[in-house]
Amino acid sequence: MLMCRDLAIVASDYIDGNLGAVDNLSVRMHLLMCRHCRSFIGNLRSSIQLMRGHSDNVLDDRLARRLDREIDKALQSKSKGGPDKD
Amino acid sequence: MEQAADITEESQLIERLQRGDPAAYRAAVRAYTPAMLAVARFYLDRDSAEDVVQDSWVAVVGAIKKFERRSGLKTWLHRIVANRAKNQLRHSQREISTDFGDALEPALAARFARNGRWATPPPLTTIASAEALMENGALSDCLDKHLADLPEKQRSALMLYEAHRHKSDDVCNILDVSASNLRVLLHRARQRIFLMIETFQETGEC
Ligand SMILES: [Zn+2]
Repeated sequence: MLMCRDLAIVASDYIDGNLGAVDNLSVRMHLLMCRHCRSFIGNLRSSIQLMRGHSDNVLDDRLARRLDREIDKALQSKSKGGPDKD
Repeated sequence: MEQAADITEESQLIERLQRGDPAAYRAAVRAYTPAMLAVARFYLDRDSAEDVVQDSWVAVVGAIKKFERRSGLKTWLHRIVANRAKNQLRHSQREISTDFGDALEPALAARFARNGRWATPPPLTTIASAEALMENGALSDCLDKHLADLPEKQRSALMLYEAHRHKSDDVCNILDVSASNLRVLLHRARQRIFLMIETFQETGEC
């Protein structure tokens, strides 16, 4: 029988729909009977949602300016008709 | 989701990049670099990762004309970075430690009794909805901090799969890991975020 610990191990696969039919059914049966695991899965789902809404699109200024400089150099040498290297 | 709008925006950006428009490069650098760093950091230390990202952007200036849009711009950029990072890694002879290990985070594994049932179950008051969580600025800061503390491999996998919504095949390719190893990386990272939110909700502290 599937124990809570087993369920925690396959929780991501369950949420992402990667479990086979038999395993999927055992997880569902367990969830019907176990409120702790229901709240675990619910909370794990919310965590995943939170991650999806979270952006890491913050670039520190130092690196951004450094990249701008290097790109400008590359653009200039290209427009001077420098050899295309790839 | 504004998928159609995103695609139009992306193709306009690509055209401007192909014309060599410096303002387009500035916008693209700010939009795409954080995820490119996440890719490079999977393989390399911080400084080398920044160098590889820089080389990649310079390469993009030369290669963007030939970009055929068979993949999205983001995926294309990530492949460029991943190839360069892998080469660099080979060059430096550094081994990437592949600690894929157990499926459970130790902090979570410790919460089960011998018989496999919860000894310290999650609180029954469920975590607030994701929308409510996202509006919580303190939690968002806390998430940033914990993301920064994740092992690089977990963080890269999590960012590419969840935040940047790459398909798992693409993530496996970019990070050079098997599908099952990716599953473990993702699951471990998710558990950590889950534990972080749980603590935050219970104590109000990060
Ligand atoms: Zn259970």
